Amino acid sequence: MSSHAGPIDHHHDHTTSTGIPNKKLVMWAFLASDCMFFGCLIATHMIYRLYPPPGAPDPMDIYSIELTSFSTFILLMSSLMMALAVNAIQKNNLKSMRLSLLTTVFFGAIFLGCQVYEFQHFVHEKHLTLTNSLFGSTFYTLTGTHGTHVAIGVFWLILMYVRSFQPAAGIKDRGWFWRGLLHIASVIGVVMFSMFAVIGLTHTLQAGEGFGAFLSHDFGLLIGLAVTTALSFYLARPRGPVAFGEANAIDVESMGLYWHFVDIVWIVIFTAVYLLEYL
Amino acid sequence: MEATAKSNFTGHDEHVAPKRASVFWRPTSKTGLMSWLTTVDHKRIGFLYGVFALFFFLIGGLEALLIRLQLAVPNNDLLSAQQYNELFTMHGTTMIFLAIMPLSAAFFNFMIPLQIGARDVAFPRLNTFSLWTFLAGAIIINLGWFMKVGAPDAGWFGYAPLTSSTYSPDHSIDMWVMGLQLLGIASIAASLNFIVTIINMRAPGMTMMRLPVFTWMALFTSFLLILSFPAITIALVELMMDRLFGTNFFEVSNGGMPILWQHLFWIFGHPEVYILILPAMGVISEILPTFSRKPLFGYPIVVFSGAIIGFMGFTVWSHHMFTTGMGTVATAAFALATMAIAVPTGVKIFNWIGTLWGGHLQMRTPMMFALGFIWMFMIGGFSGIMHSAAPADAQQQDSYFVVAHFHYVLIGGSLFGLLAAIHYWFPLMFGRIVSEFWGKFSFWIIFTGFNVTFFPMHFLGLNGMPRRTFTYDSNLGWNTPNFIATIGALVLGVGIAIYFITIVYTYFKGQKVGRDPWDARTLEWSIPCPPPEYNFAVIPKVHARDAFWYEKHHKEEIAKENAEQAKEDEAHGGIHMPFASIYPLVASIGMLVAGIGISALDHNKLIVSIIGGVIMVAGIFLWAHEGNEGYHMQADKEKKS
Amino acid sequence: MDGHQTTMETSGPVAKSQLEVFYVTCWVTLVIFLIVGGVLAYATIKFKARNAADEHAEPPEQSHGNPLIEISLIGLSVLSLVIIAIPTIKAIGYTYDVPEEERENAYEVTATGYQWWFKFNYPSEQIDGVGDLVTANELVIPAGRPVRVNLRTLDVIHSFWVPKLAGKVDMIPNRGNHLWMQADEPGYFWGQCAEYCGESHAVMRFRVIALNEEDFAHWVARKKAPARTVEIDDADANDLPKAQFASFKTNEYGFTDKWDADAEISPLDNWKQQQFPAKDENSHLIAKGRKLFQEKTCLACHKVRGHEGLGITGPDLTHIGSRTTIAGGLLENNHDQMARWLMHPEIVKPGNKMYTTGYVPNNITLSSDETNALVAYLESLK
Repeated sequence: MSSHAGPIDHHHDHTTSTGIPNKKLVMWAFLASDCMFFGCLIATHMIYRLYPPPGAPDPMDIYSIELTSFSTFILLMSSLMMALAVNAIQKNNLKSMRLSLLTTVFFGAIFLGCQVYEFQHFVHEKHLTLTNSLFGSTFYTLTGTHGTHVAIGVFWLILMYVRSFQPAAGIKDRGWFWRGLLHIASVIGVVMFSMFAVIGLTHTLQAGEGFGAFLSHDFGLLIGLAVTTALSFYLARPRGPVAFGEANAIDVESMGLYWHFVDIVWIVIFTAVYLLEYL
Repeated sequence: MEATAKSNFTGHDEHVAPKRASVFWRPTSKTGLMSWLTTVDHKRIGFLYGVFALFFFLIGGLEALLIRLQLAVPNNDLLSAQQYNELFTMHGTTMIFLAIMPLSAAFFNFMIPLQIGARDVAFPRLNTFSLWTFLAGAIIINLGWFMKVGAPDAGWFGYAPLTSSTYSPDHSIDMWVMGLQLLGIASIAASLNFIVTIINMRAPGMTMMRLPVFTWMALFTSFLLILSFPAITIALVELMMDRLFGTNFFEVSNGGMPILWQHLFWIFGHPEVYILILPAMGVISEILPTFSRKPLFGYPIVVFSGAIIGFMGFTVWSHHMFTTGMGTVATAAFALATMAIAVPTGVKIFNWIGTLWGGHLQMRTPMMFALGFIWMFMIGGFSGIMHSAAPADAQQQDSYFVVAHFHYVLIGGSLFGLLAAIHYWFPLMFGRIVSEFWGKFSFWIIFTGFNVTFFPMHFLGLNGMPRRTFTYDSNLGWNTPNFIATIGALVLGVGIAIYFITIVYTYFKGQKVGRDPWDARTLEWSIPCPPPEYNFAVIPKVHARDAFWYEKHHKEEIAKENAEQAKEDEAHGGIHMPFASIYPLVASIGMLVAGIGISALDHNKLIVSIIGGVIMVAGIFLWAHEGNEGYHMQADKEKKS
Repeated sequence: MDGHQTTMETSGPVAKSQLEVFYVTCWVTLVIFLIVGGVLAYATIKFKARNAADEHAEPPEQSHGNPLIEISLIGLSVLSLVIIAIPTIKAIGYTYDVPEEERENAYEVTATGYQWWFKFNYPSEQIDGVGDLVTANELVIPAGRPVRVNLRTLDVIHSFWVPKLAGKVDMIPNRGNHLWMQADEPGYFWGQCAEYCGESHAVMRFRVIALNEEDFAHWVARKKAPARTVEIDDADANDLPKAQFASFKTNEYGFTDKWDADAEISPLDNWKQQQFPAKDENSHLIAKGRKLFQEKTCLACHKVRGHEGLGITGPDLTHIGSRTTIAGGLLENNHDQMARWLMHPEIVKPGNKMYTTGYVPNNITLSSDETNALVAYLESLK
């Protein structure tokens, strides 16, 4: 692409008719579509809450509003981290961007972990499954679809993080592609192992057992976590100039829009599905 | 295909090899099968959409002929009930999703960049992805014909609980659902592309109010698509969850409410019909000015009514549900809203007539189809107004009166508009002009056959014949109109055949033409026929609406501007073009495999779905990874023609 | 348009009100069509380029629009729609439910749609020890009174449409719809399911018979009575009719038009005649048929109140002999058609439950003699 002389204006793209970069515009349009998507799922859930069949489970018996409030807060904070990442790369601060991206990933993973835990709890202790009631069907489909959006976002964030290590053009680095794949795998590994380790820890503590029991149950998880963490640190060592800088801020910003959208949708779901029950 | 390939690419290629030693193979050939599979050129993509659409149109037409043959006489035994039910389901689904929509997409693809003075769409590889995902969806929907379970048979709007696993236990409905989901993804991706292209990639001086009406209608259609498709996506997700995992969305015994399916479906379904008609209205709004030799009458209000129709299209969905017992308030509200939408539609018709008024009308084939459109769409619109009066609709709903209405607006409206577009833009796309005699001849046969088929259906409906019925008794007074309709359908079939043979012949052997054979008004006609790969040697500066008309009447000014711009482009290295890519195709193949795994198989569902998913993710990953540098090329010296 | 299911010749106030709204739309659109079409036709002719020279002449005046014309046309369009809207809103209210002042006089029935037949319940006609009066496929109502029909279904969506009396309303699972209608005079009316409900949707039909007050009361009394038993007459043993049926094309579907072509009596009179037993009843054959009704497990799905049938998944057959049509309003109720239905249900009505859940799992087949007896029995159930 034609190179720019001088500083990049992150708020105006002179190659487009409106000044809005194409990638940003397409993301906004896609989010408008995704709004309708979630709107229909939320509407389905709420309509069926207006007409519960006889014998329907009572959400107030099932929800743990403390846990969900906590995960909601975490997701909100992840949006803050995301905004910091965008801000950092707009100022060409690669290190700060990488750290903020990783924090966003971890907060997102915590949210997902809480959701996995919540689902397990609802199924095993509260006997609410996807199929045994209308409420179960709408609840799991709605929150599960949102969770899938979060998971896609987490995956995309990890990809963006690893992308920021791509060596600059002209640098002979044939192994970059495969190293990049390994880097992605190892970060995903860290996320997954820590998520399941925390869930395992929670279960152990709930069962009244101590930390020692956790170590023996989930030793494999902890080894995996240690290995992938070490590998991630190793692969993140600086290797010279990278092909990622201020010019890529638009990509991070578009991803940020997606992440904020997913967060806002969760606020709406949290209100409509959880909080409204308490009115 | 070779003919197009030879004539398209007149520029010199100066590839700049990608700088990194790369895992990625850049398809560089300009001819041959690979060049078609990896193309990101909007013109080629448009052509492929058109070819696929016309193919499926013929399939849908065959399905219709079989339907009419069965109904030619009472108590006929040509088809079994099951066969008939599959045919009417597939006829509707095919014509709407695999014929009209992709034919509109063909013209959006080919013409929008040319009309706004751009070299391609905003996201060329996403454009390719839409094309191949569309094909994947089309394949999955039609797979049932080749399998024991048969094609889907629950109607094109698949009401629950008929589509639940209780009442449709085999895979035919799963394939219907999966195919539609893929078609939805393709449509949404394409629409996002067009929205960004139209808003963001206009040539300098091309303000929104100088856009050709066709491009405006494409913009509204794209907005309608991205906002309405999610509703059917969710409805289909809920249905699929019920069928695959036993959820209760439409499971009556556990409190599910089938009326919810209807609401979700029609919240999509009504905007869908505007998606089907707006492109054709856009085409008519180009053809009438060209062949009347004056500008479109009331341009701002024609554009504005398109916007209003699009917006109000979201407020009238329950007029498809007048007989579902919604209560007096809801019924009245939707009846009034539906009547209101007739106003902007009427405004367009008035303005088209105003365009003709005082012109020098040239009765070429595109003009014949355009005039036919106005007449037929008027009739279809009037039966629509009759439906909007809910008490009258209580008798008309689910009868042949509805069938008459929507065929008048879809064939007399959408199809006529698109058939007109093929004739109108044929010289631009292929450098050849269709014979006036054969074009007009096919028009009259089609027009006659169409009216003979569908006008009697108004009377069949008023005489109480319900739709979606594989047979009828001989004492209800339906025999003669049905027979006449079948004759009409055969005539229509002949007309379509003549039309097709004519355009195929013209593609290979038709009379060649130079630039701007119609003395047209919009930018797409300002470039050679067929266009070079880069579209414009120099991106034009736009000074007025009907930009090309201005150019033709201000030749010196334009020549000076273009020379200056050409010098500037040289300084920047020439014309920047995107690389072709295999990865959008890979991603679509992944979706096809996953879709088949989920919906068509009895065994090995999970493993096939996972394999498909991996292919899809790999395709997207490599697509993102390969980057979008592109290369530079020089424009050909303009040949005087 | 004067067929049996026409919407253009109405026999009751609801259909009439709906037709009147339709006429308003017809007139308004006709006027618009003549005006707009006239202008379009005129413009097409007057402004056509006459010859090649004309075509290549200077373009005409490049006018861009005329706001005054636009506004006036929009105003006129809105006005025409208002003309349609006012009677529309009125009729929406009128046709929704029985008018206030007639609620007390309204007669209530419940229609339930099944794949592919209709069940009719009469909540106001209670039978001791049993419950509602239940019939199928031919709805008998009192004439000259509003009738409120509750619409239900337990499987898929159906629709209740008897055009001469009222526009349709759908039967949707888990939804309590209703419609109201009134037959001004006694009559015999054709109806059909009007929402695609599966394989045999096209052959899911029914009838509505409206009777004057006296006839209706007699009909109710006869139907509340248990199934008719024909006394055995020993003479009949020597006079058994042969098992002879007309042959049909194996893939032929409906056939309810025979009496239209042949009969010199009105459909209503034909229905009235159907209420009386045939003159050539053979009591031995009937008794044999009654036994077969049990042996062939018909009783598992079909109720014959007072005899042996108990089932409720299929249509109630207590008074099947008095219906003018069988197989869900599809076949004329006579000897030959009844035999055809019993011997080859899968050909008459593809996918029907009698065949798929009755005959097939239980390996039921019927010989000509067995069919002969069963037909005699069923025809005797007047």
